[in-house]
Amino acid sequence: MSHLLEVKNLDVKFDTDEGRITAVENISLSLDQGKVLGIVGESGSGKSVTAKAIMQLNPSNTKYNDDAQIILDNENVLRFTSKDDLKKIRGGKVSMIFQEPMASFAPAIKIGAQMVEQLLIHKDINKNEAKEISINMLQRVGIADAEKRFNQYAFELSGGMRQRAMIAMALSTMPKLLLADEPTTALDVTIQAQVINLVKDIIQEYQMGVIFITHDLGVIAQIADDVAVMYLGSVVEKGPVNKILKNPKHPYTKGLLEALPDVNNLDAPLRPIPGNIPSPLDRPSACVFRTRCPNPCDNCRNGNTEMGLIEVEPGHWVDQCCINCG
Amino acid sequence: MSENLISVNNVSVNFDYQENFISKKQKIHAVNNINIKIKKGSFFGLVGESGSGKTTLGRAILGANKISSGNVIFHDDERDYDLTNINKQDLKEYRKKAQLIFQDPYAALSPRMTVRDIIAEPLEVMRITNSRQETDDRVRDIASKCRLNIEHLRRFPHAFSGGQRQRISIARALVSNPKFIVADESVAALDVSIQADILNLLKQLQNELNLTYLFISHDLSVVAHVCDIVAVMYLGHIVEMAPSRKLFKNPKHSYTKALLSSIPSIDPENKSKAIELKGEIPSALNPPSGCVFRTRCPNPCDNCRNGNTEMGLIEVEPGHWVDQCCVNCN
Repeated sequence: MSHLLEVKNLDVKFDTDEGRITAVENISLSLDQGKVLGIVGESGSGKSVTAKAIMQLNPSNTKYNDDAQIILDNENVLRFTSKDDLKKIRGGKVSMIFQEPMASFAPAIKIGAQMVEQLLIHKDINKNEAKEISINMLQRVGIADAEKRFNQYAFELSGGMRQRAMIAMALSTMPKLLLADEPTTALDVTIQAQVINLVKDIIQEYQMGVIFITHDLGVIAQIADDVAVMYLGSVVEKGPVNKILKNPKHPYTKGLLEALPDVNNLDAPLRPIPGNIPSPLDRPSACVFRTRCPNPCDNCRNGNTEMGLIEVEPGHWVDQCCINCG
Repeated sequence: MSENLISVNNVSVNFDYQENFISKKQKIHAVNNINIKIKKGSFFGLVGESGSGKTTLGRAILGANKISSGNVIFHDDERDYDLTNINKQDLKEYRKKAQLIFQDPYAALSPRMTVRDIIAEPLEVMRITNSRQETDDRVRDIASKCRLNIEHLRRFPHAFSGGQRQRISIARALVSNPKFIVADESVAALDVSIQADILNLLKQLQNELNLTYLFISHDLSVVAHVCDIVAVMYLGHIVEMAPSRKLFKNPKHSYTKALLSSIPSIDPENKSKAIELKGEIPSALNPPSGCVFRTRCPNPCDNCRNGNTEMGLIEVEPGHWVDQCCVNCN
């Protein structure tokens, strides 16, 4: 069976005044229907850029490499150029939910009007049908008085409700792939728990694929089937979620787990990963993690290694520098 | 000499609110009848959802918000400062001794000032130092304590990463040699790997400089790790207060229990369901009568449901205070 989404050898570079910045380098990912792929990493690791590449939402100074492929439903998204083709993926086959729901809704247009507008673009239906679908969807995500909320503006809704409305809007076109870019980061823990449960139920019901981007490993543990750990534009480790979190191989993944305060073990000291994430303008050559690696070997330190994932156990891939090194 | 540094007695903070110029004036009850004592040298944590009044309370203790009723007393070595009727001269003195670290290190630092000027500004504004040489010495001293590279002091903030910027904010707060620091969501905007570094730095500085912290955060796992005593706030009330280990091992209030169960577990096999709280925190414009938590409580008793209870902390174990509604309810 072919995958719902397959990203192969993707590089994303930006041409800026300060030179060409490598945001993402040589990443390959795949996702099946009904599964959740979690992408974790610090800010600046290229998580959002990867997701935006799938919808072709990166700015016009973006350069993709020639042999990169993003295959969604047997079509290479990177070859799409006409507006009609792009319309099919943006909001049609793929929907995206963002971190800050207040910034994603237009402030001066009613929630309902925004939901109807996108349905009319993507579906061959009339206004009344679109309204019906929208109200049903608002009820589905747990918004009480859906009809009243349909006629309200974004500022009249609370944070959690806005995020629900955002999810309802993203789902109303029945996309095959949902990109969730830090959807719970701006929410309180109690609301976060509600949203996580909602997303889980929806995946069950509609069998769509989800890419869930977050920096919170706890959220990943609860929602994802597979996880890819990104650092400075490269995937350093990927595999099934319980293998990655229970038996991490890469020092960066280990570092992230150790840096996380654990409520069940209050005596454990907090161990930060030393140093700072380097600027993408002076990205280290060879292994990108070598500047912060706790015990780099000589080859790494001198930048003589080459990155690339190898399979250490079935389905569990780790960057080879670290395997040869440690 | 008192063992407490700060005493907060029956403090309430209300804000006036008027939706538009013809509608009725209303009161927002941001903070209600709070009593806390912060011991010298302690790391006091304040947790709660957004809108629970954590920041307002922190600002009231710093004298940055008007206190509507009750009083806040700062016990200094020689004398006490009563913040409710403090004169200008004393307030200036107090500001040297109580400082604030902000949440977002990207917004808190002026992009047009060098790091040296940013850190030196409090010294100049409060006229603490007499010569440029003295200012420079203090700046360099505190910068190295906060593990900033002294050679980078001439740079502008844009050249620094989030973690380094937060260290600059900390250096600026500490340069006037304060005794009391309010850290308002100071690690919320940072990546996990950097967050641990800043928390360790705050702890280390506490030992070196004899600081007392009021640490405000919505992240329970962070609070559990660094704080000695934790108070949980909900809609302007403290609903539970205890030494942090007691609170996290044996929470008594249903809100604390729900909060703790909502932290996503790092273990993928531990899919224990969170105690889901229905709905969201009510508006502080018209808080529920009786127990403020009753609208979201998973199992309220009849008295609670009808709003016939009265809130107030009672001591269930030595040092462990819980709101009485919840104790009587179950």
